[in-house]
Amino acid sequence: MQSDLNDAALDYLLARAGLDPTAEQRAELKTVHAALAAMAERVRKPRGRMAEPAHGYGFAEEDLA
Amino acid sequence: MSDAIPTIAEAARLIAAKELSPVELTRDCLARVHALDGELHAFVHLTEERALADARAAERAIMAGGPSGPLHGIPIGLKDIVDTKGITTTCGSKFLQDNIPDADAACAGKLAAAGTVLMGKLTTHEFADGGPSFDLPAPPARNPWNTEHFTAGSSSGTGAAVAAGLILGGIGTDTGGSIRGPAALCGIAGIKPTYGLVSRAGVAPAAYSLDHIGPMAWTAEDCALMLQALAGHDARDPASASRPIPDYTALLGRGIKGLKIGVIHHFHEVDHKVSEGTQRGIDAALASFRDLGAELREVQLSPLQDWAACGSLISMTERAAAYEEWSRTRLGDFSERLRSRLILGALVSGVDYVQAVRRRRELRAELQRAMSGLDVVLTATQPAEAAKIDAVPKWDLFDKPGFTMPFNVAGYPAISVCAGFGAGGLPVAIQLVGKPFHEPSLFRVADALEKATPFRSQRPALVSDRVTA
Repeated sequence: MQSDLNDAALDYLLARAGLDPTAEQRAELKTVHAALAAMAERVRKPRGRMAEPAHGYGFAEEDLA
Repeated sequence: MSDAIPTIAEAARLIAAKELSPVELTRDCLARVHALDGELHAFVHLTEERALADARAAERAIMAGGPSGPLHGIPIGLKDIVDTKGITTTCGSKFLQDNIPDADAACAGKLAAAGTVLMGKLTTHEFADGGPSFDLPAPPARNPWNTEHFTAGSSSGTGAAVAAGLILGGIGTDTGGSIRGPAALCGIAGIKPTYGLVSRAGVAPAAYSLDHIGPMAWTAEDCALMLQALAGHDARDPASASRPIPDYTALLGRGIKGLKIGVIHHFHEVDHKVSEGTQRGIDAALASFRDLGAELREVQLSPLQDWAACGSLISMTERAAAYEEWSRTRLGDFSERLRSRLILGALVSGVDYVQAVRRRRELRAELQRAMSGLDVVLTATQPAEAAKIDAVPKWDLFDKPGFTMPFNVAGYPAISVCAGFGAGGLPVAIQLVGKPFHEPSLFRVADALEKATPFRSQRPALVSDRVTA
């Protein structure tokens, strides 16, 4: 996630999300986006490709009945 | 009316001995609602007729055959994201002002089956996120210890209502601290149980993989009594755990001699340094635990910022997905605070989300290792005493990492209990964290602290000042 969000990038992301915020909301997004990008960077740690996400998928008793 | 506000446990004993009538108890609570809620805004919908009908039914049943359990005849309230059959459930939102569910949420049904008296629906941040907001149909709840101050959220009405004795216990929900935060700032007890222990069926989602339902009450013992009625498998909730349910009060009163308590000092002393009053509360609690014979150990985890980043990314993204349709079609109808978070959450990429969920697995494994050989671990619940309600930062999740989110990320049970009073006479708290499904140990330690300290004998001054016989 890029931290320095320019207008073109923001337009693309908002269009992809299907959102149409006001000019004021867009300006605020640009100011707080760097903090979000920092969080996205923080969860990236050295890990091999085999490292699984937490959301495992299993079968409940109801599936087996 | 009676001056004293009983705990659930005390009321249950009196009701069983036929020394307290559920109708009388309910009328006392209603009198406090009428005297105080114009200022507290804890209720969005008071169900007075239902409460009196429930109380009369409970009284008849108890007179005929005794109470069915400790919650029989006890006045409670439900956060207004909990579906209630035939009763408006607004989720604090303009979207659902006329929403009348045709079925009870699982937790509402279980409390009704336990014989509780439903007093009404309690104030929440919009869809349990983003508050305090002043651009919603109902105003935010205010802190009974000082009504110029915030309750924390999002179970804000439940925190305020329990502290002021408008109800004896209530339901909160917790995605990143929404039970424990209001419990801390309102000076009560509140537990986020293990993920999956209490069914989420019929409760509006905030973030699916982080959402927990739990009780809030004046004491840890009362939370244990409520959890007894709430816990259990429910096939309607895909995350519901299927495990035997223990007696949650079984370990109360056994003392804590020899128990091992880990302290995550760096969370509240380095990563996010707490206020002087909060630190004094933590230090005093640790001294009490030492005096009671517990062994204290140092615990080191990844920085609080890592946990916050992981939890916030997951939370914002899952919430954006849950409310995507309304965001795309009626964005302007959300409160300004929630709207901003929903837009931001929609900008998180799929890869960012999966990296956060991979980090989650690592962090949970880290907590599992750290808790090996320990009974519970301890840190702060909130960084400071309650802020003024008009001075709560909009982007506080970016300003400083919270102390509660780590245990939503891990899914481990965590309880907040009052640890004294700090600046301005406002409550401060500690947070205790247990191993998955080890809630009895949490209640044991929390109860021991409450019984070793005087803080459960003090209610907010406005209760005695404004409520007269």
